[in-house]
Amino acid sequence: MDARANRNVTNVLIVGVGGQGVVMVSKVLALLCQQQGYDVKQSEVHGMAKRGGAVFGHVRYGDVVHSPTIPAGEADILVSLEWAEGMRWLDQLNPDTGIFISDTHKIVPPFACRNRRRGQVPVYSKETPAEILDEVAQGYALDAAGIATRLGNERAANTVLLGLMSTALGFPEEAWLDVICDFVPAKSVEINKAAFLEGREWVKTASVPEAPVVADPMPDPGPEFRNELEIIPAWCKGCDICVRMCPEKCLELNADQVVVIPRPDDCTGCRICEWLCPDFAIKLHTVAVVQPHTDEILAEV
Amino acid sequence: MNIAPHISAEQFDIRDFMRLEAFPHFLCPGCGHGMALRALMWALYENNISMDDLAVVTGIGCSGRLGAYIDANTFHVTHGRPLAFATGLALARPDLHVVVITSDGDCLAIGGNHLIHSCRRNVNMTCLMLNNEVYGMTGGQVSPTTSATRYTTTTPGGNHEPVFDACKLAEAAGASFVGREVTMQVPTLKDLVSEALLHDGFSFVEIISDCTEIFGRKNQLGDSAEMILSQKAATRPDSYGSKVDTPFRPNPLPTGVLARANRPEYRANLVPAKQKELGGG
Repeated sequence: MDARANRNVTNVLIVGVGGQGVVMVSKVLALLCQQQGYDVKQSEVHGMAKRGGAVFGHVRYGDVVHSPTIPAGEADILVSLEWAEGMRWLDQLNPDTGIFISDTHKIVPPFACRNRRRGQVPVYSKETPAEILDEVAQGYALDAAGIATRLGNERAANTVLLGLMSTALGFPEEAWLDVICDFVPAKSVEINKAAFLEGREWVKTASVPEAPVVADPMPDPGPEFRNELEIIPAWCKGCDICVRMCPEKCLELNADQVVVIPRPDDCTGCRICEWLCPDFAIKLHTVAVVQPHTDEILAEV
Repeated sequence: MNIAPHISAEQFDIRDFMRLEAFPHFLCPGCGHGMALRALMWALYENNISMDDLAVVTGIGCSGRLGAYIDANTFHVTHGRPLAFATGLALARPDLHVVVITSDGDCLAIGGNHLIHSCRRNVNMTCLMLNNEVYGMTGGQVSPTTSATRYTTTTPGGNHEPVFDACKLAEAAGASFVGREVTMQVPTLKDLVSEALLHDGFSFVEIISDCTEIFGRKNQLGDSAEMILSQKAATRPDSYGSKVDTPFRPNPLPTGVLARANRPEYRANLVPAKQKELGGG
């Protein structure tokens, strides 16, 4: 593959979430291009990311680069360190010649888990890698985090993807390794080298994984439970704490300033109301839902 | 801790440990003292401490009334003196878990002398100081922990006195376990009280509580939900640690276990004959 279409400027967009090393990948690429004698512009947004927020880095190089940001739909390579972030930036990719490289590793943000009931699946990208790769001109999806974990440190996943990306850019392998070794801290040189070479090797045996890999699969919900809120109206003084603190907003005060639960089905059993009630007027019971026994069902039939 | 947290949250029912005939309790709507009482009872439940092995000593004030609701051995004593009573009780009955529930006025102003000497003696007991920044029961007078510029009935022009940092005082006076937490963090507070209960020696826990009806209303601090949220925002899990240059009362206030010293408990300093004389364990 060769991303250097017959244009002067090559655009590489690197996206991911905070803490994954998006900035490292874009800086390594920018340094390398600089050493190779190109005009390079690199820009990134990471200020509000902390750990887990969106981060992206633009790298543009060529004979002369004027603007530091990539025009929409003109990215030649989109490198995504996290699966859903890749989805979010797909429209930046050149629809005809763009190369999409993504880790299938999932980092599910807290807001994708708005529904906190037992056994709920978080709202997250449901497309399989095969479906996405069909839609782009050229695409690679790999479990880079898994490869890096096997090598000894999950944090080297960005270097695995860097290795895969390097095959699309055609600079010599030694030049890449020199820049990486200069850039990363001395104690992690070895693993980054190994991860880079592993990423370069992977492209030869490229196969599409079945489904995105979830870092922390949802735990088995176990037996089904129902949340029952016991309210002692005589003890409630209507202080409003439970109503205000309930994350699901399923409590309210009635006309007598006594708490009631108009939406019992919304209760997720978080116990905040029970713990914060200064009058001990609320007690949550989680009651196991008994499945009717097969014999009983048959008897009814 | 003998019970897994998620099991204890389900099984623990505070009503099993209360004198139900006295309910609903006398505290104002939204008073943080109720949450503090829940954390104490929960910690006792998690550590399998029987109500028969528990002695609660309370002073005067809103916090002093909490003892009346606990179905255990409870003592409601004179203003500022619960620590003095508890010292005698703990020495005579080392088999009991002695818990003192006191408050800012009771513990720091009227009973300040008893506090520093209880810390110094390091008798095995747990002191929970519910700090609501005001003398609530007697009508809202200024207390040693009332924040600067706050209005009370005795500071109509706003309080201008510096605020006591009770945890620093207790640590300096020799308490071997010092902690602080806000009432809103009930499970965290429960863990902190649990550690304090198991500690061998004098353990002091400052619980930042809210007085909505008197202090909050006079200072327009909003309702109880707003007050507990702002208290949480004004604290940070931290420790003074080895920081030498901390201000008189830092902001945000550190919470969690602030000091823990490995000092011999009071009885360990006694000669064996004296220990026998005192009886008990």
